[in-house]
Amino acid sequence: MDVLREGFHAVTDEMFVSLQRTSQSPVIYEVLDFAVGITDASGQLVSQGNGIAGFLGPIGEAVREAIERFPDLGPGDVVLTNDPYAGAGSHLSDAAMIRPIFHAGEPIAFAGAKGHWTEVGGKDPGSWTADSVEVYQEGLQLPFVRVYRGGRLDPDLVAVIRANSRLPDMTFGDLTAFAACLEVAERRVLELCERYGPATVAEAMRLVHERSERLARAAIARLPRGVFEAEDAIDDDGVGNGPFPIRVRVEIAEDRVVADFTGTHPQVEGPVNCTRSGLVSGVRTVFKAISDPYEPASDAWFRPFEIVCPPGTIFTAQRPAPVALYFEATEAATDLVWKALAPVLPEVLTAGSFVSVCATSVACTHPDTGEPTLLVEPQAGGWGANARKDGEHALVSVGDGETFVIPVEVCEQRYGVRVERFGFDVVEGAGAGRRRGGRGLVREYRILSDRGSLTVGFGRHRFPPWGVSGGHDGSPNYVEVVRADGSTTGRFGKVARLPLAKGDLVRLVTGTGGGFGDPHDREPELVAADLADEIVTEGEARDVYGYAI
Amino acid sequence: MVAGRGSALAIDIGGTFTDLAAIDPSGRLVLAKTDTTPRGLEEGVLAAVETSGLAVEDVTAFVHGTTVVINAITERRGARTALVTTRGFRDVLEIGRANRPDLYNLAYAKPEPFVPRRLRFELTERMSYRGDVLVPLVEHELDVVIAALRELSVEAVAICLLHAWANPDHEHRVAQLLEKSLPDVQIVASHEVSGEWREFERSNTAVLSAFVKPIVSAYLSGLRNRLRGAGIEAPLYAMHSSGGVCSFERALAAPITLLESGPVAGVSAAAALGRRLGVGNVLTLDIGGTTAKASAIRGGRVRISTLHHIARTPTSAGYPLQTPVVDIVEIGAGGGSIAWTDEAGALHVGPRSAGAEPGPACYGRGGEEPTVTDANLVAGRLDTDYFLGGAMPLDPDAGTAALGRLGRTLGVDAVTAARGVLRYAVAQMARALRLVTVRRGLDPRDFTFVAYGGAGPLHAAALARELGVARTVIPPAPAHFSAFGMLLGDFRADAVRTHVGPLDPVALAAALARLEDEAAAELDEEAGARSVERFAQLRYVGQEHTLEVPLDPGEVSEDLLRRLRRDFDAASDEAYAFSLPDAAVEVVGLRVSVAASPDAVGWVHESPVTHGAFRARDVDFDQHGGIRRADVIGRDELEPGVSRDGPCVIEEPATTVLVLPGQRVLGDELGNLVIEEAS
Repeated sequence: MDVLREGFHAVTDEMFVSLQRTSQSPVIYEVLDFAVGITDASGQLVSQGNGIAGFLGPIGEAVREAIERFPDLGPGDVVLTNDPYAGAGSHLSDAAMIRPIFHAGEPIAFAGAKGHWTEVGGKDPGSWTADSVEVYQEGLQLPFVRVYRGGRLDPDLVAVIRANSRLPDMTFGDLTAFAACLEVAERRVLELCERYGPATVAEAMRLVHERSERLARAAIARLPRGVFEAEDAIDDDGVGNGPFPIRVRVEIAEDRVVADFTGTHPQVEGPVNCTRSGLVSGVRTVFKAISDPYEPASDAWFRPFEIVCPPGTIFTAQRPAPVALYFEATEAATDLVWKALAPVLPEVLTAGSFVSVCATSVACTHPDTGEPTLLVEPQAGGWGANARKDGEHALVSVGDGETFVIPVEVCEQRYGVRVERFGFDVVEGAGAGRRRGGRGLVREYRILSDRGSLTVGFGRHRFPPWGVSGGHDGSPNYVEVVRADGSTTGRFGKVARLPLAKGDLVRLVTGTGGGFGDPHDREPELVAADLADEIVTEGEARDVYGYAI
Repeated sequence: MVAGRGSALAIDIGGTFTDLAAIDPSGRLVLAKTDTTPRGLEEGVLAAVETSGLAVEDVTAFVHGTTVVINAITERRGARTALVTTRGFRDVLEIGRANRPDLYNLAYAKPEPFVPRRLRFELTERMSYRGDVLVPLVEHELDVVIAALRELSVEAVAICLLHAWANPDHEHRVAQLLEKSLPDVQIVASHEVSGEWREFERSNTAVLSAFVKPIVSAYLSGLRNRLRGAGIEAPLYAMHSSGGVCSFERALAAPITLLESGPVAGVSAAAALGRRLGVGNVLTLDIGGTTAKASAIRGGRVRISTLHHIARTPTSAGYPLQTPVVDIVEIGAGGGSIAWTDEAGALHVGPRSAGAEPGPACYGRGGEEPTVTDANLVAGRLDTDYFLGGAMPLDPDAGTAALGRLGRTLGVDAVTAARGVLRYAVAQMARALRLVTVRRGLDPRDFTFVAYGGAGPLHAAALARELGVARTVIPPAPAHFSAFGMLLGDFRADAVRTHVGPLDPVALAAALARLEDEAAAELDEEAGARSVERFAQLRYVGQEHTLEVPLDPGEVSEDLLRRLRRDFDAASDEAYAFSLPDAAVEVVGLRVSVAASPDAVGWVHESPVTHGAFRARDVDFDQHGGIRRADVIGRDELEPGVSRDGPCVIEEPATTVLVLPGQRVLGDELGNLVIEEAS
């Protein structure tokens, strides 16, 4: 059974690599914004491969919903969905594909993949924006449609998808890459059935669930019991409203944990809403961190964890609320539970971090080729400190994971901008503490083409990352544009299609993370080392840390 | 390597033992093993030479595999190193790629850079990605940097300027100026160690090269002096990570190429063995005390990866290096791997290892935890009196007791616990083999399986059955196979360059010719007839990741590129079940490998004489036939052409070969044992 458990992980491992390598969407192959998994015949997740921390849950949800909608699913069928409001939904850019696996005519398992496709239409290139007010502006909706029947691709549906994408080859390439990855899964699961017999495989899947739930309950028993609350706010919604208060009450009992978001702001006009599935994914990230970061994720793991939130909030938006920047609400929910628990779990969690994907999109013309280019990337920033260590400098956000920032040299060749600076941003006083917050980054793009445009979704622009136990707050994220004539546009957190001209400098700045403990308690030799490294300034060392220079 | 009339001698220094393999003037294979001497590795080397009984004046070639580079890095015992880079980018080394592989550990700590911020300096200068000078180098800024480097007693300096892969002029100039002012400081410019883009990866490569350079210089020159002092006048060679050998002088110039000097030798040896056996597809597995290392050789070609990571794990980003390394997958399952149970009562094996001290429980050196070796002993697969040729009696009671304790937490007896441990370990080892085959679209059944390392021959038969491999080869002296492999290494140099563009015959022909000249110039003069292999890293336009595809020999014509394109589609289909024959393809990088094969090495194998007093014993074959009485013989009984049916156990001084019921083992002309399914 332990061998089969390893076998299930080998399947998702292989699916993961297959998709990463064949995808045409940079968001998949570079940001690893996708997840793959296999479930049992009832849609309970058995093994998952993730490139980012989110997506804890949607594969199982998508499978269960597919089973419900298509009672006649057969071998070689593949269901496609990007419906944000149904099970597994996030935003229209995230497509999920599901394939049933039959052995000797009986369904034995399902394979699923969910990930970010670069182009699914909508009002702005790249299918995400910071100022949509209805989902209809955000792209083509594919609400659980059968894209393959008996192994045959539906040509009519493909025609619709292609016609709705600005980059039809890339979108179709992603569709085929997903299908190939699901086929890999089918092949491997059937091999396991041949070798061990389908009954043993099914039994091993049941045991995975049993083991998972038992371990999760054991982990909860070790957590501090009590009721822990936190409040915060989401800055704005990109169309002029905000801030929006958000609240959580986390109760840790002997064998279960409940996170209740009652009292959180209703869904908003701009695209910073997430749906229940996004809330669940985000909160599960913290649940996983505080229970056991390393045990494989399964649906059974999360049975003892409950999430309560009334419908129609910024975390549980209903159709047709816009959701293009759904990850900002998801990250805010993650950060909120984290904030409630950080003071009582000072070695497992940290103080607040820059906690925003800081999604950035720069559209230009390549000065050397004359081709249009679209640079889309997340930013890295500063993380919070905890009882054991200083915060990390320059790390991608909690919603990201095995996500790589784009090398400067590749960026210049590929996108035709010039990077003038990529380094730490030393913000005096921010994140000070006995353990100090990590520094965020400054990344500067000089625009070399005559025209261009900028879209960004930077959260935590008004409310800085929070300190813990006397540690100071960090600093906010922001964007500004220094124009060729020397004037400045910004600072702002969200903007859609801001026009750019030749010689403009786009400055993307991420925050310092929160500190932990009183800065006066920081060991003088550590302050001295930070001074030598120019990670703190002399003024900061003297005035904030009380260090005698 | 060079056989000639004298002795070719190879030394592989491992964590525990220093191994020697040599072919003496009569063509006989000579082996010796001594303790590694961490305080002065040369001592162990000289002791091994002495133990071997070889006449020093007969030695005509000395080949060395060393862990000195990897150890200096993992133990952070290198030079005090500084970095000089382009203004605006001194934090690139510490930002890394900002990835967070440990997804749910919200207190993840990034790998600490090898140069702290206070030792990272910026200069005003700028190149474009096309290699045009955008901002000329402001040379006088170096005065301040040089003063600071002196003041801070820096011992080595790495230089990495943006786009040096496209135009190294500024780096070259900075290196010149630093060398002039700081004659005692080692200087490494990034373009000298990598011709590839991606500034973080290239910076890290330059930094680690500088970091190890003084220590490697001291070590190799110290060793040379000691060898000369001992009367060995032969040319000295080092094994580098791409599976070839180079002179000590070349190694001193680019020490980072010695990174995986030890483990790759076994893979080279397996490739050479494959050539002797007339097979191109060889699957290798080297099982030692702590890990199992797998590699797949296709069409006689060892697979080279041009981006290697040190200390990268599922929970750490590690340190990337742009240097060609034989593609080896390593997992934490070896003889010393410890078995344990988690809270939910599930069994695990490794990655923690009991190592040599205290070692497995049955070593009787105070180890309490059950290991794979203990499980093999309980299962009757090891002889208590003939471990390491009888040099180390095992304590069966301690082994059984350790497995008994494990069994109690699982609710089973020691014998069942041992079965569980062995099944798990074999599954892990099989996983390493699948990672280098199945995961890359290859079928293990298309390969000849070569198993070596101290614990390889013990698990090979079960692994072969698990993977459906038809033929398993246990080479002579499997526990010395890496050292032996060094005797077979080619002279070899690889040149790698980032070259982004379409499949254009003119541009590619020029770039490939330049790389070939560069690689050939790297090759030592001693090298004889040369062979050239050319590779292109290709992708569909819009993709990020590339696949490396070999180019056919001959002029780079439209026709050759059409074939390359077709091969790429096929490779993509094979690896990922995916190809786009109508989409545009672009080149991202080129690699040229120039090798000079020395004269074919011949050797006469004489099986080591075993003591011959073996008795049949009960061996637990678990799912392959349960507990069976198995014949036990010495390896010397399997003369060429002699075969025997399983189940049986074959003992030799440094390892044990297990043959399952239903399998047959045959001795061949080269001294190999060949295991096949009998039916």
